[in-house]
Amino acid sequence: MSQIKQSGSLLLLGVNHTTAPIDVRERLAIPISRLADATRTLAHQPGVREAMILSTCNRVELLTVQDDSQPVATTPLGLLNFLHDYLSLPAAEVRPHVYEFREREAIRHLFRVASSLDSMVVGEPQILGQVKESWNVAREVGAVSSMLDPLLQRAFSVAKRVRTETHIGSSSVSIASVAAELARKIFGSLAGKTVLIVGAGKMSDLAARHLIQQGATTLLVSNRTEARAEKIADSLRTPAITTGVIPFEQLHEQSHRADIVITSTGAGQVFTPEQARALLHRRRNRPVFFIDIAVPRDVAPEINNLEGCFVYDMDDLQQLAAQNQAVRSREAEAAETIVTKEVARYTDRLSQAPAIAAIKELQLSAEAVRQQELARTAARLATQPLTPEQQAAIEALTKSLTAKLLHSQLTALRSEIVSGDDQES
Amino acid sequence: MSLLWLRVAVVLYGIAALAVLPAALYNRPRWRHVALPAALAGAFFHFVSITETLYAAHRALPVDTHETLSMLGLLLAASFLLLAAKYKTVSFGIFLLPVVVLMTIVPAFRPGHETIAYPFIRTGWLLLHVALLLAAYAALFLSLIASLLYLIQERRLKQKRTIPKRSWLPPLETTDQIALKALLFGLPCMTAGLLIGSVVALQTIGPAFFADPKVLLSLAMWIAYMLMIFIRQHSGLRGRRAVYLSSFVFLVVLAVWSANALSAVHRFRAP
Repeated sequence: MSQIKQSGSLLLLGVNHTTAPIDVRERLAIPISRLADATRTLAHQPGVREAMILSTCNRVELLTVQDDSQPVATTPLGLLNFLHDYLSLPAAEVRPHVYEFREREAIRHLFRVASSLDSMVVGEPQILGQVKESWNVAREVGAVSSMLDPLLQRAFSVAKRVRTETHIGSSSVSIASVAAELARKIFGSLAGKTVLIVGAGKMSDLAARHLIQQGATTLLVSNRTEARAEKIADSLRTPAITTGVIPFEQLHEQSHRADIVITSTGAGQVFTPEQARALLHRRRNRPVFFIDIAVPRDVAPEINNLEGCFVYDMDDLQQLAAQNQAVRSREAEAAETIVTKEVARYTDRLSQAPAIAAIKELQLSAEAVRQQELARTAARLATQPLTPEQQAAIEALTKSLTAKLLHSQLTALRSEIVSGDDQES
Repeated sequence: MSLLWLRVAVVLYGIAALAVLPAALYNRPRWRHVALPAALAGAFFHFVSITETLYAAHRALPVDTHETLSMLGLLLAASFLLLAAKYKTVSFGIFLLPVVVLMTIVPAFRPGHETIAYPFIRTGWLLLHVALLLAAYAALFLSLIASLLYLIQERRLKQKRTIPKRSWLPPLETTDQIALKALLFGLPCMTAGLLIGSVVALQTIGPAFFADPKVLLSLAMWIAYMLMIFIRQHSGLRGRRAVYLSSFVFLVVLAVWSANALSAVHRFRAP
């Protein structure tokens, strides 16, 4: 910790999904287009030597290195004032939601955030990319250097270690992602697959969006109210996504076009086993995946017994999501242990840094004195130049003398480092 | 020397067959790095062994059951490696590699002494006949395994218990594609192999060749093989029924294989 104290102190201020409601978070959020400017402005605050801003939908965090040697070191209040100046948001409004971490706790928090242990959905992979993006922006504007740069690189390797040594991100925990995961088990890549939404609902819309994100390219919508179906189709249409509307009365004649059917009408028995058999026949037995998120169910559960039909209702999906959540919680405990060890290792390294720097400095100054003396002697003997053998002998003599003179001091400094390593192990 | 290479290949296949279990069943990627290089090295030594044997004997095709088995084993090992490269899955190795070990272990430790005493043994056409039919058998076996994997994955998905992200089973559509592509590859191989064999036999043995039990069974095998592809293509047969159908054709192939004992043309005799 001594290096942090010597060359600056680490301060992290922020709000996240656990401390601030969404209306506060969305007012604090800094879009990526403004992130470079905001980071530059933060880095130019009085007393701030290095800075980085992490802004996602679930958190806004200001990570700074404070220059302790300056009389006007920025206080947490000062950083809040930056938010006020930059976002026109009164500090008093933000203050109750803000958390503050210093030194070791700031390092720990950063490692936890990068490893997705502090995320709303623990183990989600996006956060690491977002931290990297913030770091890149901060580097581009020259806001990170000797302290934050190595710290963030360490945070990335800790996150990587957590990903590889635990199964924290190995299973889907939301209903939509479970459905997408199942679709991949059936179809492999979803590229070129057709999704049919039957009925209009938030959940079906969300599931369809998730499947599109995973590569599905055609979206069909069928709803009793055709205008509503058209509205949904329009909202999901992009240059890469083809959308279409199937009139509700033609649903059974045209549903064979879909590989994945998401139903949410709640009208009950929209698909009976006979209709599913006919659908399979038209598809020449190519598999079809029914995601039934309606209550009461739209798809008869017996359809799951038909070869080539896979029916998952809300309970099935929730059960799988809960199982995966339990796995993640177990893995999160293992991940926390990794983070704790990595924090200890990093702070120990920091505490040894002054001794390493002192050794380097001592060796450099001794070498400078030696070179000076050699030059002076060479000038004195300019009229009677030394033979190469004599020069080599003097070179060896001075090196040996310098090494012997420094020996005790270097040994003391090295033992300080070794004792640090022992404590660490 | 060729026997030594074959024994090295057996050991390497054995290592690959064991390593593929944790790699596929327990999602241990490190074991994948053992299984694939071991199988690749095994296939290399296997190829060297077969080439050396044939070169030393101044002939181009296997002349006994053991050599034929060994060649089929090499084709299966090659198909495992091809699948691993194209579909990034080692799951097929769970079934393929033990079969490869079994097919090579006997010729490696008890080489056969049978031979076919015909003068046309050195013709390129006969080599093509044997190679194409072995490729067709390998394709059928691969298709059968793919259908089995499809069935297992289908059951798991229907039971709705868990969805491990890195499941050892490939997605249904992938296994279905592999099963169908293997059959579509096997059909021309089998057709051409049988045609070439028939023309060569007609020229050297005469029409009596067509009364041979193995030849008749081969014709039945070809019809069954073609029917299976027709049914799969036209009705989209998958899952349980596809496994039944593939198993039936596989049994016919086994019958054709074992008909060597009844065949006057194909029987391997001791020299």
